[in-house]
Amino acid sequence: MSKQRNGLNIQGKQQRAGWVFLAPAAIMIAIFSFYPIIQAFITSFTTGTGVNQKVADPLIYNYTRMFTDKTFLRSVGNTFLYLAIEVPVMLVLAILLAQLLNNKDLKFRGLFRTMVFLPCATALVSYALIFKSLFAQDGLINTIFVNLGILENNYNFLGNTASARVIIIIALIWRWTGYNMVFYLAGLQNIEYSVYEAAKIDGANGWKTFWKITVPLLMPTIVMTVIMSINGTLQLFDESMNLTQGGPAFSTITMSHYIYNVAFGRGVGKFGYASAMSFFIFILVAILSAISMKVGDTRD
Amino acid sequence: MKKKLVSLLLVGVLAMSAFIACGKTDDSAEAPADAESEDSAAAMYTSDDENTLTVAAWDANFNIPALKAAGEAFKKENPDFNLEIIEQSQSEDIENAVTTAAEAKDYSNLPDIVLFQDHYFQQYVTNYPDAWQDVDDADIDWSDFGEEKLSFSTIDGTHYGLPVDNGTVIFAYRVDLLDECGYTLDDVTGITWDKFIEIGEQVYNKTGKYLLSMDGSGNDLPYMMLQAEGQSQFKDGKAVLADNDTLVQILEVIEEMQQKNVLLLENDWDGYTNDIQKDMVAGVMNGNWIIPTIEQVTENSGKWEITSMPTLSGEEGYASNGGSSLYITANCKKTDLAKEFLAYTFGGGEGSIETYDNALRDGGVITTCISAGQSDVYQEGVAYFNDQAIYAKIVEMGSHVKVVEQSDYHYTVRENISAAITNIHNGTPVADALQQAQEEVDFAMED
Repeated sequence: MSKQRNGLNIQGKQQRAGWVFLAPAAIMIAIFSFYPIIQAFITSFTTGTGVNQKVADPLIYNYTRMFTDKTFLRSVGNTFLYLAIEVPVMLVLAILLAQLLNNKDLKFRGLFRTMVFLPCATALVSYALIFKSLFAQDGLINTIFVNLGILENNYNFLGNTASARVIIIIALIWRWTGYNMVFYLAGLQNIEYSVYEAAKIDGANGWKTFWKITVPLLMPTIVMTVIMSINGTLQLFDESMNLTQGGPAFSTITMSHYIYNVAFGRGVGKFGYASAMSFFIFILVAILSAISMKVGDTRD
Repeated sequence: MKKKLVSLLLVGVLAMSAFIACGKTDDSAEAPADAESEDSAAAMYTSDDENTLTVAAWDANFNIPALKAAGEAFKKENPDFNLEIIEQSQSEDIENAVTTAAEAKDYSNLPDIVLFQDHYFQQYVTNYPDAWQDVDDADIDWSDFGEEKLSFSTIDGTHYGLPVDNGTVIFAYRVDLLDECGYTLDDVTGITWDKFIEIGEQVYNKTGKYLLSMDGSGNDLPYMMLQAEGQSQFKDGKAVLADNDTLVQILEVIEEMQQKNVLLLENDWDGYTNDIQKDMVAGVMNGNWIIPTIEQVTENSGKWEITSMPTLSGEEGYASNGGSSLYITANCKKTDLAKEFLAYTFGGGEGSIETYDNALRDGGVITTCISAGQSDVYQEGVAYFNDQAIYAKIVEMGSHVKVVEQSDYHYTVRENISAAITNIHNGTPVADALQQAQEEVDFAMED
C-alpha cells in the first residue's frame, strides 16, 4: 500500500479527518443557530408588523425604545431579582448536597442522589403546572396551612406580587438544584482523596478543608455552573408563562416572557422590537459570563 | 484494509439508522389521520384528495361539534366530501401557526380553513394580508347575519370570514339562590350595578357564593361593561382610557364589587372555569359560549336562568364577547369547494338549518344567522335552564348589541386594564392606574 496515495502526509490526513468530523455539526450549527442569529439581528433594525415591517428610522430606534418601555424595564428588574436570589441560594444548596452525598460512608447514596436529581427529569411546563396547582387558592399548600392554623383563610399565593415571586424562586430552586449538584459531584470525585488525607494529617478541620481544598479545586465547575445558571435565569420563560402568566399586573414577568408577548403572545407581532430586546439579553449574558469567568479565573 | 472496511460498515450502519429514525419521525408528522382529535397540538396540513377539506379548530365541547355538524350536512349533498377536523387545544395555537407561517412566508403548513378569534382577525389581516382568501364572491346573503358579528370579519368592505358562533353576553343566575335571598330573576334584570352590588352582598352573606367571578389576568369584564354602555376603549383608532369617565366609573364598580365579596377575580382562566365547575358562584356573566361550562355541573340542572346585564344607568345591558369565525387560508387550493362548503352550511345555504340545529344540540353553538335562528330548535326550552327558551332569548338579546369601535390592540388594552384593576385593588387611585394603563397602551401602539 502506498503511503502517499492522496498526496498528503500524515499531518494533512489528520487535519482532513478532523475537518470531516467537525463538518456535520459545524454546518448544522451554522444553519440552525448562526443564520437565525444574523437574520434576527437584521430584523432588530425594523419596526412595524407583518407586511408593514420596514427599516427603522433611526436605525437603532428599537434599541433606544426599550429603555423607555416601562414593562420591559420591569421585566429586567424582575429577572435580576430572580437572578440575585435564586442563583446563590441554589448553588450553595447544590454544593452542600454534593458534599453530603459524596460521603463514602453514607448509605443509600445512589437513592438520595437520584431523588435530588429527579426534578430535572420533569418537563419545565409540567413542573410549573404542578407548582401552580400546589399553590392554587384551593391547592394543597393552602389546605395544609389552613388546617395547621398557620393561615386563617386561603391565601392567593400566585395573585400577590411578593408571594408569586417567592413561589417562582422556590420552583426554580427545586427544579435546578439537583442539576447543578450533579456537576459538583462529578467535580468532587475528581479530587484525589489523598489531598484530604494530607490535610487531615496537617490538622485541618472540615470547615478549613472545605474552603481551602474543595472550593479551589472545584472552581472550574463552580464557574461553569454560575455561567450556566446566569444564562438560564436571564432566559427564564416557562415559569413566568405557566405559573403566573407574568401577573399580577406584570409584576412577575421575565424578559423572555415579555419578548414572547411582543412577538406572539397578544398577536401584536412586533418581531423587530422583540429581536432587539433579545439582543439586549444576549449582551447581558455575555457581560455577566465574562465577569464570572474573570472572577473565577484562578491562573495568576 | 480490513479495519477500514469495518469502520466504513459501521459508519454506514450509523447513517442508515439515522435516516431510519428521521424517516420515522417524518412519518408520524405526516400521518395526522391517526392522531386526529386525540392529539391536542396536532400538526396542521392540507389533503391531496380533491374532495377533502381540512379545518383547524379548538374546543371539543363547542366549535368542534358545530364543524362536525356542518361536515355531515354537506356530505349529504356531496357524498364524496370529507371534512377533516384538526383539533387544537386552544385558539392561541392557531394564531401562532398563522404568525409563524406568515413570518416565514411559507403557508404550506396551514390547513384549508381555520377557526379564528374575532378580536384577533383584523390585526392579522393588517399584518398578513397574504395569509387569507376573501369570500366576497361566495353565494351568501350577508344581510342575513348579525351586523355586530360581521364587523369583525369584514375589513374595508371585504368579507373574509363566515361567522360560526354568537358571542352575545348572557348573565346566568342561580335562581334558587336568588330565591333564598328573596329575589327573582326580574329583580336582577335591568338594574344598576349599585343595585347589583346590594343583591350580591346579600347573596354572599346568605349563601357564601359570589354573584360573579372573572379571570383577572385577561379580564373580560370591563370590555363587556363598556359595550353595554355603548362605548369602546377606542376612539378614532386611539385608545381612550385615562379620560374615559365611563371607564372610571366601571373600574370603581369593579373595585367595590371585589371589596364587598360580590366579585371574585381569579388568577387565570382555569381558576375562573374552576369557580363555575366547583359550584362556587351564584352567577356567571360572559359570552354565551360559557354555557357548556356551566352545564357541566349536572346536579344544578334546572336552577339556572339567564337575563341581560346590569348597566350604570339601570337599563338592560347587551354586549358581545369572544366568538370566532371560519376563514380560508392562502394555502387552500380548493377555494371553490371551501366557499361552497361554507356557504352551504354556515352561510345560510340549504344545509344551514341542519348545521346550526345540530351545532346547537351538540355544542350549544348559537348562530348569528338570522334565518337559521328562527328554526324550531331555538324555541325549545332548555331543561338545565329551568325550561327557559334561552336560545331564542340569546338571539333576541344579540339583536340589541351595539357596534363599537374595535382595534388591533384589543388584547393589549385588555391586559393593561386588568393590570389597572389589580393595581387599584392594591391601593392605587383609579385615575393613576388608568393613566398608567393609557401610557403603556400608547407606548405599545407606537410602531
